[in-house]
Amino acid sequence: MRVSTATHRANDDILRLVRKGCVVFTVGVYILLVPFSCLIFAALYLIWRPTPLARLRRTQALVSLGYRTMHRWLNLVRLTRWDMSRPLEKVPEGAFVVIANHPTLMDVTAIMGLLGGACTVSKPGLHKRFVLRPILRGSGVIAGAGGDPSAAARVLDEAVALIEQGFPMLIFPEGTRSPRGELLPFGRAAFEMACRARVPVLSLAITCEPAWLSKEQPLFDPPHQTPHLQLVTLAIDDPARVDYDSRQLCRLIEGRYQQWFRGLQPEISAVEPEMHNR
Amino acid sequence: MTDTLEDDLKVMIVETLALEDVDPKSIETDAPLFGEGLGLDSIDALELALAIHSKFGVRTKENDERNREYYHSVKSLAAFIREEQAKAPASGA
Repeated sequence: MRVSTATHRANDDILRLVRKGCVVFTVGVYILLVPFSCLIFAALYLIWRPTPLARLRRTQALVSLGYRTMHRWLNLVRLTRWDMSRPLEKVPEGAFVVIANHPTLMDVTAIMGLLGGACTVSKPGLHKRFVLRPILRGSGVIAGAGGDPSAAARVLDEAVALIEQGFPMLIFPEGTRSPRGELLPFGRAAFEMACRARVPVLSLAITCEPAWLSKEQPLFDPPHQTPHLQLVTLAIDDPARVDYDSRQLCRLIEGRYQQWFRGLQPEISAVEPEMHNR
Repeated sequence: MTDTLEDDLKVMIVETLALEDVDPKSIETDAPLFGEGLGLDSIDALELALAIHSKFGVRTKENDERNREYYHSVKSLAAFIREEQAKAPASGA
């Protein structure tokens, strides 16, 4: 019995080391590819001379392809398990606002990959970086308000303009990654955008068990079990049902997420002991 | 009497943001308005900025790095309004 436990532990350590090696290799390849990707982006930007709108669509399609390729790779090296062939249900035609809980950094790339591209709002600090700024702007990423009330008006205007041009807008209403076992209060920005642009809100429920790339589980510390990423459609809401009142819409959708999250807790608790045993 | 502006602001916050379950008197002058305090969000801040402009004639400048500071609490908001109102006659002269 003792021998078996020791062997088991040794196997676990080897597996953990292999997994960490895979992460280091993946990040290394990513770092090597970044300059080339930027050059490809710049070249395509110069070659593509249609309208700015068509250019934005093509750039987003390219970004989406990049994310899908990355997820295929992560599946291949068993760093994650995600059934990419399962399409999202009830995705509306035309523009919409898509919201989701945010348990991992992988959910952004997974949603963008599945939707074939979307605009979003990022931390304003990212837009101050010289290299990143043109790439972010070129792919429809708006600089967030960062708590500045006057900037919130600009963010809303820019977001509504993009939605009205037919782009899906991805927003995480918690404003940051969800802490483990918690759902933070929802901000109203996503719902205000949907109400102003008069487009539906697609609610996605995301789980990643065991947790990885969450606030608590960093990149270079992958869990022992392969993290299973799942994306499902929770609901689709037309803001007309609340007479385009973003406050009411926020309350309605946040309540639904809370209900879903409460139902999820036993599943998370079941995975928890495994994580603590690492 | 010195708290008049602060009290006005508390009433304005509750009315503008339709905080049905909040009594203006229960809002602490020093407590944060956002996040762990009253729990306001970016859209609330925007509505508040518009209401402050229409009621007190004070405009919140875009990209002012001190905006977060000004909107931290009722106390800081009142100080911001007083400061801007004091500047107004001087700049008009």
